[in-house]
Amino acid sequence: MSGDDDSSGWQLTESDPGVFTELLKTLGVPYIVDDLYSLEPDSLAALQPLHALIFLFKWLPSTEGEPDVSTGRYDSEFPGFFAHQTVNNACATLAVMNALGNIPSLPSGPQLADLMSFTTGMDPQTCGMAITSADWLREAHNALSPPSAISLDGLGLPKTTEDAYHFVVYLPVMGSVYELDGLKAYPVRHGEYEESPEGWLKRAREVIEHRIGTYPTGALEFSLLALRDDPLPSMQSQLKRLQDAGRDSEASEIIVKLSNENAKRERWAFENSLRRHNHMGLVHALLLALGKAGTLDAAKEGAKKVMKTRVERRKELGMGDMDED
Amino acid sequence: MASESRNILLAFKAGRAFRREGTNYVDPHPAKGAVMLVNGEDGLLHFVWKDRTTGAEEEDLILFPSDASFAKVTQSAWGRTYVLKFLSSNQRHFFWMQDASTRRDDEFVGNLNRLLDDPEIIPVWDSRQPEASTSTAPPPASAGPSGAAPTPEQLAQLRSLITSMGASSTANAQPQADDLSLGDILTPANLIPLFTSHPNLLPAIFPFLPPDVPPTADSLQRTINSPQFRAAVRDFDRALRTGLLGGLVRSLGLPEEAGTGVEAFLRAVQAQAAREGGGDHMQTD
Repeated sequence: MSGDDDSSGWQLTESDPGVFTELLKTLGVPYIVDDLYSLEPDSLAALQPLHALIFLFKWLPSTEGEPDVSTGRYDSEFPGFFAHQTVNNACATLAVMNALGNIPSLPSGPQLADLMSFTTGMDPQTCGMAITSADWLREAHNALSPPSAISLDGLGLPKTTEDAYHFVVYLPVMGSVYELDGLKAYPVRHGEYEESPEGWLKRAREVIEHRIGTYPTGALEFSLLALRDDPLPSMQSQLKRLQDAGRDSEASEIIVKLSNENAKRERWAFENSLRRHNHMGLVHALLLALGKAGTLDAAKEGAKKVMKTRVERRKELGMGDMDED
Repeated sequence: MASESRNILLAFKAGRAFRREGTNYVDPHPAKGAVMLVNGEDGLLHFVWKDRTTGAEEEDLILFPSDASFAKVTQSAWGRTYVLKFLSSNQRHFFWMQDASTRRDDEFVGNLNRLLDDPEIIPVWDSRQPEASTSTAPPPASAGPSGAAPTPEQLAQLRSLITSMGASSTANAQPQADDLSLGDILTPANLIPLFTSHPNLLPAIFPFLPPDVPPTADSLQRTINSPQFRAAVRDFDRALRTGLLGGLVRSLGLPEEAGTGVEAFLRAVQAQAAREGGGDHMQTD
């Protein structure tokens, strides 16, 4: 935003699975990002193949500093891809890049493949700068930031809703679970994982649960996202196989799953349309319609009462009326 | 340092911005203000920041010729953040331009820097001022120590400055003027009955939905319930409160005055509804 020295044209985006998935699509990567509501083995198994976990969190203002959460060691000899976060607001996309850069034989579009080979062998700082100076990547990232920030930009409004989330990626690299945090000097190695059906996720769960447990109660807001294969193609081929084999009851289970997955995609597409849209004309059209229907005055009176109550309640709480919006 | 013996060399609308402690972030402060360069009665050059709401001169820096400069913060994404810096110290004061239009930023800054360099010069102003502009605040040109009579253009600029500064202080004399917010008007509780009772109004709203969603009442309902729409309403509400949206609201077919506050905007929309509603949209129920 305005006065923001270090954003280099990167805008703040929402940390939402629909936003990440759209970004992956632009990158030509056939993966999606899903919300993860639980770290239980069963819910993780349902999302396999699962390539990386993205842990995003922020501390609440009541706490001071981050507790020591380290259960691993810095690995200055990290053999994979690691970029520092060199500009603000790019953290979401950078986390995705840190994950994608470490997935062996990643299917991707030509621009991403070029960028990955261009950054091979760079130190984390240079790599971060190379990534964040890629215009096409910045445009892909900015595509889903609210355009109101553009049309109202000249006013330099202080943003009150800016949520400074921090993004950390966990994923397996060469037999170990790694934590990639663009604000840390090096990747953190959390040890080798055992060969088991659960694989790297067992170790990752331990590390993340330990991390969450280190924060005082209520001091941490976080969510977990899963980077996984797009399940639609395999669901579709599975459905065809079951239908061909006449296994109708199993096929109908897949049909339910497919329709849930499609409903989710439809919701993401709708929300992304809303994210790209400048709503100012709609605000005007709606108010105009209220005016034509003759209900604008009543709505104004109602809004005044609501504001009055709000201001009084704030005064009671001793917050004064400094922040009236 | 108000006194008739002081002499305002230049003034423009600008707010202050502050560095977030321990970082390189600079956050603009919302207070409406003005930067003034003044020849004080002490004979020294003062750089003054005045709060346009309270009239208080909250910052008054004595400058020595050639020591200070006013430069654009190039890292600023929106491009209207400036820093006052000094050769003699590491002090930094940040400002952001508050004139509705960016058109004269360079002119203000150029003249400011020339005056910082040499307070004796007479600033050169672009005389192609729009007629009856109330959204810009052209500075008063100094008559200067030479005693040259002000030109009619300079007088017009002066009048316009006084009018616009006076207008904003009158508006601010009623701090409760905007005691309602758009977010409390555009609620589902207010809008959904409208969609059912006046379906004939919907076709005029649909074109303002995102282009890739189906133009249906269902889309409209989902949109007004979405966090994205609510955030946009909140942003627009806050932007209106700056009183600086004159240029923007013209694109909605509203008079510039509608951009001076939430109440003014709603009044203008109401008038527009009455105008348009008097024609073929007349309600019969």
